Amino acid sequence: MTQRASSKVVRILLLLGRLALAVVFLYAAYTKMRPVLPSIPWSVASIKTSLAMFGLQVDSYELLPASLVSAVAHLLPPFELFLGLWLLSGFALRLSSTVTALLIAGFLGVVVRTYMVGLKIHCGCFGGSEPVGPWEIIRDSLFVLLALAVMLGAFLTRRSHGAEVRAESQPSPSGAD
Amino acid sequence: MDWRRALHLYLAYSLVFLAAPLAAISQTKPPNTKPAGIAAPQKGYGSPSAPITMEVFSDYQCPSCRSLFEITLRPMIDDYVGAGKVYLLHRDFPLPAHKFGYEAARWANAAGSLGRDQFAKVEAALYDNQASWSNDGNIEKFVAAALSAADLKRVQKLMEGCQASPSASLLGAQFRKVATAEPGCAFDVFIEQDRALGQRVPVQATPTYVFSYKGQRLPPGSGQISWPILKQFFDSLLGQ
Repeated sequence: MTQRASSKVVRILLLLGRLALAVVFLYAAYTKMRPVLPSIPWSVASIKTSLAMFGLQVDSYELLPASLVSAVAHLLPPFELFLGLWLLSGFALRLSSTVTALLIAGFLGVVVRTYMVGLKIHCGCFGGSEPVGPWEIIRDSLFVLLALAVMLGAFLTRRSHGAEVRAESQPSPSGAD
Repeated sequence: MDWRRALHLYLAYSLVFLAAPLAAISQTKPPNTKPAGIAAPQKGYGSPSAPITMEVFSDYQCPSCRSLFEITLRPMIDDYVGAGKVYLLHRDFPLPAHKFGYEAARWANAAGSLGRDQFAKVEAALYDNQASWSNDGNIEKFVAAALSAADLKRVQKLMEGCQASPSASLLGAQFRKVATAEPGCAFDVFIEQDRALGQRVPVQATPTYVFSYKGQRLPPGSGQISWPILKQFFDSLLGQ
């Protein structure tokens, strides 16, 4: 495989990885913000109720005082939505992928801690009622790996692209004669 | 291997593993039998017509269930249950790991068959003194302290067939198992009915709570929650 073809494959994989992460965050935000019951239509009030319900799950982690639980429950899903859209746009990918990797690593840390102390609670990660267990740890670890891969890819392709641009802009030795 | 190839593999593996499917969770049907001559235990607080119903699947010997009751449900009973906003329903889900949890549930059900006031008193007594009876298994002492002499006599009479410890099958050799109630203790049927309902949720740990709003069920939650956060959720739901 030539260097140019290889670079193209990397870019495609990077795009797929970025889109996968964007979908994960958009879906996570959607499941936390959608109406808690099908009979309730989408509205500002319905989103507030959904975020208040998400607050119960944040609270069950027994990590934060009530005042912070409420803040996290109301800020995290909109931030996930923002991050999903940011990743989707591809704008400032090195920064967005770094933020993503840090955020998912934080989630993984919380899930591992919860499992280690033996709290039998629901994850709340995707709005459902999946319990915190080995599967959630594996899943979040894979997300971290993907986020790190995208972050690494974003930094390396940028550097590689810069080198290619510099090489092309330099005059050839024959031309210098 | 150059960095591009390594990155291909890394990205490709990450994407493939993300597609792993979730395992299906088996469900169990509740038993329908009901013992003759014994009133169904009343294990609810407040009005069943309240807009929000909160079902709590718990084990009287589980420390988290005690915390939930003492820290969250008590103020909720005084405030939102009293105001007719929430109907709180206790569901038994004794865990095999707790030696006296099943027996405690029998006493609470026996008190509940006299009425909801008697149930409330016994439930509070069980949680208040959990540390004590969890050590020696002397549950009756605290039931006696919670009820009037007349009520205690009636409960003791109802508990006559319940002196033997629940068998291994009732305690649940496996967590997911719902046992068929054995002859002897009439209240085991009610406990098993609750446990079967719990399996359908599915309850994977105690306490697990399920909210219904105007008859529609919301996804379950579990673990400790604080009253201010729960109240915020109720206010938001009632504002819909």
